[in-house]
Order: sequence, then C-alpha cells, then structure tokens
Amino acid sequence: MARRSRTAAVVAVAAAILAVVAAALVPGRAAHVRRPVRASALPAPVTPAFVPGAARPLGSTRHLAHWAPVRRNAVVRRAPDAGAAPVTALATSTPERTRNIVAVLGQARAGGGQVWAHVRPSMLPNGGTGWVPRSVLGGYETVRTLLTVDTARLRAVLYRDGRPVLRLPVGVGMPGWPTPRGRFYVRNRLTRYRSPEYGPIAFGTSARSPAATDWPAGGYVGIHGTDRPELIPGRISHGCIRMRNRDILALAGRMPVGTPVLVR
Amino acid sequence: MSGPTLQDIDPDEALQGALASLCGTTRAGFLRTATLGGGAMLAALRTPAVARAEVSDLEILNFGLRFERLQAAFYTEAEELGTIATMSAAKQQWAQTLGAHERAHVRIFKKVLGSRAEGRPTFDFGSANATDAAFTRTAVAMEDLTVALLTGLAPIVHDRRLTAALMGLTTVEARHAAWARNIVGSAPAPEAFDRPRTLASVRGAVAQTRFVVKPPKTSSRRRPGFTG
Repeated sequence: MARRSRTAAVVAVAAAILAVVAAALVPGRAAHVRRPVRASALPAPVTPAFVPGAARPLGSTRHLAHWAPVRRNAVVRRAPDAGAAPVTALATSTPERTRNIVAVLGQARAGGGQVWAHVRPSMLPNGGTGWVPRSVLGGYETVRTLLTVDTARLRAVLYRDGRPVLRLPVGVGMPGWPTPRGRFYVRNRLTRYRSPEYGPIAFGTSARSPAATDWPAGGYVGIHGTDRPELIPGRISHGCIRMRNRDILALAGRMPVGTPVLVR
Repeated sequence: MSGPTLQDIDPDEALQGALASLCGTTRAGFLRTATLGGGAMLAALRTPAVARAEVSDLEILNFGLRFERLQAAFYTEAEELGTIATMSAAKQQWAQTLGAHERAHVRIFKKVLGSRAEGRPTFDFGSANATDAAFTRTAVAMEDLTVALLTGLAPIVHDRRLTAALMGLTTVEARHAAWARNIVGSAPAPEAFDRPRTLASVRGAVAQTRFVVKPPKTSSRRRPGFTG
C-alpha cells in the first residue's frame, strides 16, 4: 500500500515538472493567460464630432407674435363657446388667392375640453377679436418683427426683437380716404405682377378701409411700392401705405408674413 | 404598475398610427395591447431586423436636425403660448429644461451642417401642446420615440466621431424619456434593452405623426387689388 502511494506521488511530481517545462518551452503560451488590463493601456474614447453648446432658457417672449393659417371656413365668436355670439366669418383664402391667416393672441380650454384660439381676424369694423376652435387653424408660426406706421409723421419703423432696424418715409391715405388706425398684421406678399403703380412688391394687410367698402377687392389696405416716388412722404393714397421702391424692397427682405402692423 | 395607455398620451392618434404601421399591426390591434407602464410602447417600437441603410452621413444628420427641430418647436411653442406657465413648478422645470436642450441640439446640428442644413419644416401640433395634460402626454410619447430613433441612427453613420456625438445625444434623450415617464408616474426604465431601428422606419414614424405639414401659401403673383 505504502509502495503504491509512493509511486503515485512520483508520477504526480513528474507530471507537474513536465507541465512547467512545456509551458516554458512553447512560445506564446503565456500570452493566453488572462491578466487584468491596465486602464492606462485602453484607447481614449472616440472624440465626438460635435458637442452642443450650453442649453439656454427661452428668454423673453415680449416681442414675439403668433399667426396661423385658416384651415376651414368658420365663425369667429365673441367667447370660446359654440353658442357665443358671432363676430365675423372666417374664410380660408384671401382675395389674392393666398391662404387666409389670423393673428393668434392666446388660447383657452373651454367646457368639454375643447381648445379655442383667441384670434384677430381681418374684419370690419377694424380691430375686432374673437374665438375659433383650435382645429380651425393650422400650425402656429412665430414672428419677431413689428411694423409701426405713424400717419402724423409719415414714417414707418420696422422693429426686430424690439429694436428698430428700418426707418422709412411713407405715403398714407389722403383726406377722405384715411389709412385706418389700429392693430393689424401682414396677410400675404405679392410679387412679379405687372402693375407699376404698386411697385415691385406688395404686402396685403388685415386692415380694411371703412371708406372703400365697395372697392373691387374688398378695400384691403396694402403696403407697397410706387411709380410716383416723388410724392413720398405725403397723404396721397386711398388708404394704402406706399413706399419708395428701394424701401419696399429693403422691407421685404426683413418683414415676414404675419408681422403685426400698428398704425397710429 | 399599470401606466397610462397610448390612447391617453396620444389622443390625436398621430403617434399611434406611426407606431402601428411600424409594428405591422392595425391601429386598433395595437391600442388593445399598448400600455406605457408595462413598457409596451418601447416594445412596440422594435423592428424585426436592423439593416444598415446605405445613406450618407449628411442625410442622417439632416434627418437628425429635422427631428430635433420638431421637438424644439413643440416645447418652444408650448412655452411661448403659456401652456408651460400653467404647470406645477416641477413640471415647468422639466418642460423648460427639455426645451432648452432640444434648442441646443438644433443649434449644433445647424452649425455642423452649415449651408447643407435643410430648411425649417412647418409644424402643426394642433392641441397637442395647448393644455397641461395634452402637452405632458405628447411629450412622454415623443421622448420615448426619440430614444428609439437615435438608437437606430447612431450606429449607421459612417464616421465614428459622428457616432460618438449621436450617442451623446441619445443618452441625454434617454434621460429626458425617463424624466418624462417619472413626471406621469410611469416606470422610468421599463425595459432592460432598447432595440435600434432602421432609418426608413424612423422616417415613416416622423411622417405619420402629422406634426410636419405643408407650409401655407402666403405669396402670390396676382395683381394687387388693394386700395392703392
């Protein structure tokens, strides 16, 4: 029994010695032994192609205005309620065959959960506001511009983010055809027509002349160029706001559709 | 925990239609099973296979810009219109932070793309951001969707540095999604893994939200008929 144990021990020792010798003689064998990887040996992370800048809060919304296209004909009502008194009708298109738009002043949820938008439409008498279901309107757009027209000083000023960026002389309505005062907005932009008296570009506004209700296209007040620049500034129009052609072109490059127009 | 259903968070069914089409099921069938709390929404976003789309990095980045613009416009409009101001202080912080992040993402995409950046699309969110409840529901759905979208986009760009950048956006969007889910009391991390998606399915999902619309026609060549 003791002899058998001694033999087994000798065999085990011999096997161990052989394993050590083999490991030493076979190249690369040790490389397969897993060792902890040093952190410093790892490659650096891939450098991102870009990194966003700091997140900034929205900031003041004081000089922002919103507008929206009219998706379907509707009735503007005095309150956000389907039973409220009607203020005016709202059409989807303008006489110039562009999409009709309204200024969006706010919104509220009425009883029943329906969302209504408080809007300023183009209507007579000028300056009215009312409510339509939100679903009547398309997506809201935002503008940062404001055009003021001073009918006493015959000057227009375009503001962006509250800062004046253009000051322009204008022609306004002659006595008996006054340019209506109040808060309006730019409804559309017409170009490449053949009417030199309107200059190269004309903006349609939501303002309507109370004195021109029988005007063929509804008596809407435009902001446009002219073929009589020598008359500007002056009281020369039937209610429209006229500018010299170079001025209307400068304005066109900075004033988007939807811009509020304040005439005083 | 039983979370809000997809019907709750997407009353206009804009996202539902997109998700249903991606899952190869009908809208009605999808709605029968979809719950946010169980993580079914993310499960539903999974596609059976991820194919490496042969599209350029420029195209992918422009798509990323388009989607970031969608998100930024959603949050910004809600803030401008006063919806966010009606919320609790915690929700205001959440909504304003997400809006600020998405606007930062838009700025960096525009900067990287430069003159090759696509123009801003026209959006119509309808009533989806008009009330606290509608805004929150849609934001939760949008953030979940964004994670799935970016997980699909990041690996298919050809430039590893772009992949690294998109991964940076993906993790932030995942935090947004978890935060949004926490806001509505839903499980912030319902699944152990978010599967990637193909670019084509991502495009389809965005198209079918119906938040991206044709711009209204506001210019014309007609002769003016103004008062002159």
